[in-house]
Amino acid sequence: MTNASEVLSSIQSAFPGAVLDSRVESDRRLWATIDSKKILDVCKHLTTKLNFDHYSGSAGVDWIARKEMEVVEIMASHGAHQVVAMLKVKTPRENPSVKSLTGLYWNANWYEREIWEMFGINFEGHPELYPLLLSDELMGAWPWRKDYKGYPDLTTGERAVKISTPEGYTEYHIPPTPAEVEAGTVVTERPKYPTLREREEKEIKSDSEMIMHLGPQHAMVPGPFLLDVLVEGERVHKAFLDLGYIHKGIEKIMENRSWLQGITYTDRMCYVASLSNNECYCGAIEKILGLEVPLRAQYIRVILEELSRIQSHLIGTGEFLTLIAGVGYAPWQYMIIDRENIISLIESVTGARLTHTFVRFGGVRNDLPAGFADQCKKVLPYMKSRTEEFIELFAQDPIYHKRMDGVGIIRPDDAKRMGVSGPPLRATGVAYDMRKEDPILVYPELDFKVVTGTKGDSADRIDVRLREMLESIHIIEQCLDRIPEGPIKTEVKVPKKVPAGEAYYRVEDPRGEMGMYVISDGGDKPYRVKVRGPFYATFQTLTPLLEGTYIADAVAIAGSMDGCPSEADR
Amino acid sequence: MGISDVIPVPVAIDEEIEKWTIFGQPVAEVWFTTTEKIHQIIEMGPIKNIFNWGRKNSVYFLMQPMGCCGVEMFVFGAAPYDSDRFGCIPRNTPRQTDVMIISGYLTRKYLPVFKNLWDEMPEPKWCIAIGECAISGGPFYDSYNIVQNTGDHFPIDVFIPGCPPRPEQFLEGLMNLQEKIKQRKDKRDY
Amino acid sequence: MDIIGSISQFAAQEPAIFALIIGVIGAAVIAAVVNVGAMLVIWGERKVLSDFCNRFGPNRVGGRWGILQLGADAIKLFTKEDIIPADADKGVYVWAPIVASMGTMLVAAAIPFGALHIGGKDYPLVVANMDISAFYVEAALSIMAIAVFMAGYSSNNKYSMLGAFRGVARMIAYEVPMGVCVISVAVMAHSLNLVEIVQSQTVWYAFAQPLGFVIFVIALITDLGRIPFDQSEAEEEIISGYNTEYSGIRWGLLYFQEYNNALLGSILLSLLFLGGWQGPIIPIPVLDIISPLIWLLMKVIIVLWFFIWVRSSLFRLRIDQVTDLGWKWMLPLSLVNLGWAVLVGSYFA
Repeated sequence: MTNASEVLSSIQSAFPGAVLDSRVESDRRLWATIDSKKILDVCKHLTTKLNFDHYSGSAGVDWIARKEMEVVEIMASHGAHQVVAMLKVKTPRENPSVKSLTGLYWNANWYEREIWEMFGINFEGHPELYPLLLSDELMGAWPWRKDYKGYPDLTTGERAVKISTPEGYTEYHIPPTPAEVEAGTVVTERPKYPTLREREEKEIKSDSEMIMHLGPQHAMVPGPFLLDVLVEGERVHKAFLDLGYIHKGIEKIMENRSWLQGITYTDRMCYVASLSNNECYCGAIEKILGLEVPLRAQYIRVILEELSRIQSHLIGTGEFLTLIAGVGYAPWQYMIIDRENIISLIESVTGARLTHTFVRFGGVRNDLPAGFADQCKKVLPYMKSRTEEFIELFAQDPIYHKRMDGVGIIRPDDAKRMGVSGPPLRATGVAYDMRKEDPILVYPELDFKVVTGTKGDSADRIDVRLREMLESIHIIEQCLDRIPEGPIKTEVKVPKKVPAGEAYYRVEDPRGEMGMYVISDGGDKPYRVKVRGPFYATFQTLTPLLEGTYIADAVAIAGSMDGCPSEADR
Repeated sequence: MGISDVIPVPVAIDEEIEKWTIFGQPVAEVWFTTTEKIHQIIEMGPIKNIFNWGRKNSVYFLMQPMGCCGVEMFVFGAAPYDSDRFGCIPRNTPRQTDVMIISGYLTRKYLPVFKNLWDEMPEPKWCIAIGECAISGGPFYDSYNIVQNTGDHFPIDVFIPGCPPRPEQFLEGLMNLQEKIKQRKDKRDY
Repeated sequence: MDIIGSISQFAAQEPAIFALIIGVIGAAVIAAVVNVGAMLVIWGERKVLSDFCNRFGPNRVGGRWGILQLGADAIKLFTKEDIIPADADKGVYVWAPIVASMGTMLVAAAIPFGALHIGGKDYPLVVANMDISAFYVEAALSIMAIAVFMAGYSSNNKYSMLGAFRGVARMIAYEVPMGVCVISVAVMAHSLNLVEIVQSQTVWYAFAQPLGFVIFVIALITDLGRIPFDQSEAEEEIISGYNTEYSGIRWGLLYFQEYNNALLGSILLSLLFLGGWQGPIIPIPVLDIISPLIWLLMKVIIVLWFFIWVRSSLFRLRIDQVTDLGWKWMLPLSLVNLGWAVLVGSYFA
């Protein structure tokens, strides 16, 4: 079994002088600063020799005091070992430029695009450095730099201006407010790149092809994103994705809020499963502080997160069913009604239906109310029988199989290469679950299996989600039997100013692997919070997957990924 | 006062029509006064009340989840907080909807698209803002990408505060909108 | 005053004008009956579908049952702004809903709505008792497909165009099997007249030709554009398909005629396969005159309820799977059914 120090010594022996600074935090975490000229070779060495085949993401950090910027690459493995290597590459703040890893890892594409548009770090060798999350008018402003002054003022007034396009249609343009112009934050020099429309129209090869918009206003997933498909008749030739329609800038906002206030913002990222997001953030801070969570609080966290997983799968599956069956489809309504039972359970503990803000540093906010265990024991067997009924319903429905079998097949190698995680990855047959790979809380003591599928098509993804609900019910029943009495918050007082440090914490969100990288510089606000969302990676797979399918299948595939664009956009 | 004040008509035809006469009187005046009289009759109590009764009991909304409140909007349109009881069903195309529900954060990138959707809706139309983000920016009041005052861009009739509000509050907001339509106190003066 | 005398005198003197006036009054009555029936079908669909989905349908407008919900919808749609897209083909755009209504009225002119049992004999209630009415009704039900294509093609909208093409593909899939099933029934009944088909059903054709019955039901659901065959207005994929650009009463008319067709299609199904208005006569004095009507009504309600049940339980097929089903399965099986009908029909001749 590899551990972090072995990885470090392997890198140091293969590339002497490449590692400028290193810290082995534990058996499973390695922090290393790598010379920017050797980063490609080091990553290749990790992938080929040490089984780091999962490029998890990358974060940009602006160290304005030291006049440099940093790009942190997060490397992990799909089950060969449990080490996560955080490799930092430094670049000066004037004309920052870093080598791009898109040659080695296919899914580095979007992470680097985002760092470019937010920080201005150029990636050498990146094939398509275009904006992803920001609109064209904010390009060049580099919003996540520490000296960005562009927060809007609150003057009122109708500002939208109508302009006509050459084809005769009307578009709206929102000009900047006077305060922005005065403060000098309006971007005058924009970087040059082809706009989305130009890129799309370049691909039209014949007269019978046209570009059709599936979004941003659509009923596919709960959140707007733009999916343009180049169709000829009913066949899709190419797909184009554009995000950023609900980009709120949470990572930048959290740098202006205290540590405790930041928990409310993590709710609003993936709002269907907000407890996992809370857990991720609080776990990272607990790592920096070195806090020990009491046992009862750990059990409460696990119970609520598994309940949250059940209701997230219910609404994800149910809503997807309306895409292929219309809103009158009865099982979708049954799933929503069943979901209300689970939501009532969670609400009796946290007080909210959707955005809970329940997990605190070193514990939880409330204790379980009296009678919670009995209520659970009434609801859970009912949910179990209903879920088994749903699984059987879809298994014996021939039209369901006609629509879903063989649609959107992802092979296991492709899924691993694309950085997919969660039910879409497990449906291909790869047993990769954060609860086993990077165990937190009391998961090592609980008995559950990782649910996998066989073929990786849409039917398998739905099936994996439904069977995962059964596993979650099993986990909750075990926790209710084993939960001890005790405090729900740590007795150590959590300080207002978190000491300087950094941590990367991973959690199994219902949609996949979620990670949060938190940096503290000793103040009472976070210095940088980077969220590695699961749907950001799964989203990227849509562009190659949709080529050659029918439009009806395109909708089925996009919906079966069970996405939350809000978490991809943050 | 000519025809082109009542309906938009290309200018050349307008001048031609101004010269026609019927029974010795200019057609434009006869027509205009007749339609004005019909408008006056409709604006009086009974017929307008019937129109408003029909409009308030069949409010179709646009299926457009934008944020956290969007999830609650799904639940609101389905069982068990059934909005079909009020005659309120979700439609996909803005041409067939009456009310635009701003259910979440409006960003700079999405605002132009949203304004186009609003323009595509036929009159009479109303607007409901759900949640803190739609009303005033909410927790993202100092974000570089969120539009803080949606009331500047759309004439909002009903504000439903909450983060997110419960689906029962959606129903209350819908009933408030119905009350407003009935008493003709909505923003567009229908 | 001798009204009847003066009317019969007028009828003798001016037969053509009299027939015209009677025709116009009859058409108005039929149109009113059919349209009110369609409104009840839409109301019924909203309530029954909600019941399947474990919720209530409209229950606030017009009392506990929400009867006036359709009235409110109609008033709202009439007072909406009329939007015609600037680049749309205006003539075709405006005529599409009207063609849909025309199709429905053409069907209603030839389909018998039941019978009155007076003095031991059944007098069928039909406006135009045509000799080929079975075939004519089945063909006129497909005029809706032309309206769908007109609506989708003229809207200058990519989603509408896709919906229009899918509508035509759908029609091509089911038209032939449906016609063959009607002919199989006519072979057994020795007539294409719907009235005679009903009167010749000693045993219902649903039992005498089960294969034909099943195929006709599937083809009818495809014709009506209901789930599992509503690709031309698949909401989640192509944003309401062929009627994406329609608003106000124009859309109301298109939506309404869909359900009008559903009602008339169910009546056709009951007449062809479920024995029409045949049934035991109720011995109560007034009810015995209209008891055939009551039987037909019950059968139509059961058929419509079955269509709504199918809508709430099945998934939507892809358009290429629909044409697959039509040409590879429904057509050969309907030909088999035709052979069976010829054999059985000639055996029992």
